[in-house]
Amino acid sequence: MKRFGLAAVVALAMVVAACGSSGGTGSTGPNGVVNLVLWMGYTPPPPPSLGAEFESLKSLVAKFTKLHPKIHITMEYVNNDDALQKVTVALQGGEQPDISYQYGTNMPQVAQASQVVNLTQIVKQPRYGWSDFVPGERDVATVGGKVLGIPALVDNLAVVYNKTLFAQHHLAPPGPDWTWSQLAADAKAISDPAKKIFGLTFPADGSETTVWEYEAMLWEAGGSIVTPNDSKAAFDSPAGVRALTQLQQMQQAHSLYLDFHPDAGTSESLFNSGKLGMIITGPWDLSAFPDVHYGVQIMPSFDPGGSHQTISGPDNWVVFNNGPARVSASLEFLRFLTSPQNLLTNAMATSDLPTRESVQKLPGFSQFNKKYPGAGLFATNLRNVLQARPQISQYPRVSAALGREIVAALLGQATPQAALSSAAQQANGYLAVTG
Amino acid sequence: MRIRRILESDHLSGWAFAFPAVFLIFVFGIVPVIWSALLSFQKTNLLSVPRWIGTANYQALASDPLFKQSAEHSLVYAALFVPLSVAGGLFTAIALNRRIRGVRFYRTAVFVPVILSTIATAIMFLWLLDPNFGLVNFLLGRVGLGPYGFFDSATGALYSIVGMTVWGWIGFDVIIYLAALQGIPPALVEAAEIDGARTWGMFRNITLPLLGPATLFLVVWSSINALQLFDEVYFITKGGPGTATYVVVYYLFSLAFQQGVAGYAAAIAYVLLIATLSLTLVQLWAGKRLVYYAS
Repeated sequence: MKRFGLAAVVALAMVVAACGSSGGTGSTGPNGVVNLVLWMGYTPPPPPSLGAEFESLKSLVAKFTKLHPKIHITMEYVNNDDALQKVTVALQGGEQPDISYQYGTNMPQVAQASQVVNLTQIVKQPRYGWSDFVPGERDVATVGGKVLGIPALVDNLAVVYNKTLFAQHHLAPPGPDWTWSQLAADAKAISDPAKKIFGLTFPADGSETTVWEYEAMLWEAGGSIVTPNDSKAAFDSPAGVRALTQLQQMQQAHSLYLDFHPDAGTSESLFNSGKLGMIITGPWDLSAFPDVHYGVQIMPSFDPGGSHQTISGPDNWVVFNNGPARVSASLEFLRFLTSPQNLLTNAMATSDLPTRESVQKLPGFSQFNKKYPGAGLFATNLRNVLQARPQISQYPRVSAALGREIVAALLGQATPQAALSSAAQQANGYLAVTG
Repeated sequence: MRIRRILESDHLSGWAFAFPAVFLIFVFGIVPVIWSALLSFQKTNLLSVPRWIGTANYQALASDPLFKQSAEHSLVYAALFVPLSVAGGLFTAIALNRRIRGVRFYRTAVFVPVILSTIATAIMFLWLLDPNFGLVNFLLGRVGLGPYGFFDSATGALYSIVGMTVWGWIGFDVIIYLAALQGIPPALVEAAEIDGARTWGMFRNITLPLLGPATLFLVVWSSINALQLFDEVYFITKGGPGTATYVVVYYLFSLAFQQGVAGYAAAIAYVLLIATLSLTLVQLWAGKRLVYYAS
């Protein structure tokens, strides 16, 4: 009896521990005080170098609660990579946060939750200044015509080039009206395979990193990823072939470094050690280039006078329904957080690009590029974000097929036309079945 | 009275002590196996409400070119990895089963790759085999060979992974063979020597048969290991270049956790389970006929 008792207690304790619940939900308390729970993925310091975004958000929250003493906000850390999964679990237990940071690519999935607050009518009110957000951001916050998020972070792609290498080869630095044929000529001039120096690097792991760089080129060439009703692939067009042919020709001319491990930071290291003439990347990479004298230029166009389109991967704040009082308090907070002045404050503190166009007209904005060299160009480059990736749940699968075939073309295993036709055929199969 | 007897029986307390382990195995082993069986008959992304679709996932497999390619790559990999690591392990173990100076150091050195983390091994090989900046191409260049693309070449990537994983696992085979070699009764060896057996004859007729059980274990274990190849592919090649290193587990992982097609991925997992199980049964059946058990 004694033996049994001990084992049973141990076993029971383990079961209880395994099934323990986590607490921490918001509430509407007495005296009309509203408690909000905010899920965000910014890590607090240490190290202090990585805590800037957390500190900036924290001080804006403090500023807001000072203005609104009846609203209290609890910031909870949730890794952005897990935010979708965690919200899914929380929704099933009815423990959803009031506001959650979500990647733009999560939106088609988030849209399937009934507790997500539809913001379509709300953002139409002039005080939300919806049209001040860049079109690419607004598209990513919208699923099936419904606005389900407020833009939280934005980036985009531009060309970072090594000024020293350009000068050594007597090349004029790229101007804002440059073309892909100019880029290819510059890359060819800089490349020296014997010395392991390449004109341009391109991610070739077939992941979304490969695909989104190609998609910016596809749009600039006049193509699109899917047909307007999202039912079929549209990248296997003359525009798609033109964009892929451009890359394949640069590869055949030995002026393209194919980076098969873009996650490993090889291209960044090579650029920083002067082995690459150009790298197509976003504002987050600028701090990785302390050793080279670099410049930043917007993406080239295919034809002179083109629109120099780029691509953006915006993230959103998503509001979940915990009763009308908490929803309206959440919206009040997000309106405060995304006001032009506060966006500028946040940009200066973190180097994050402001999500609204009007921020660039504020008097303090000129300091932004001085503090973070090159970041100013990425901010103005947001004007060149004219399109977004399709907000459909099949997109990851379509992208994977496209990524595999782009790499096949870059490796010379297929012609651009054959590669894109094969990808389109696979994509059409995935698009034919819903969700 | 009867309840008291049940409560005091050894059976009950035995189960009670085993309960925590049984509970964990049930929750993390049995439940997922059953759950993924159910998933394989559903259309689900693990988020929205799943829909029952019968055997449609299994039917779709038959006409999926990428699944066919992945299965071929897995088989090619297993067909190379198993003999190379087992035969290589045997050769190394025999070489290390002698009285030579510093044998302990060599035995440790051979086993070190097994305990290294896969990611550390992968990063090391990435640098060694880098087509432009790697040490291996540099050395090959000195003797007028290459440069080779290794992981970045569509024709060489799978073989590069074979090489890297054989290097990583051979120490395990060596340890098992060393233990088996030391279990060979000296009396048999002496008797053979007295009868005038030469080295090759001794190896062929004494050593090899007595290593049968160890060989069977290693073949079965390495085959299962090979069909489950994932970490190296995920970290180094992501299935590429193109589709050159798509193997079954990598393909099902990318479907379930990156592309939101969990039901279809579960069907692939079940096909792999049945294939692995069948292969193991065939190996054990063949082993029964071929392997000599001394005791």
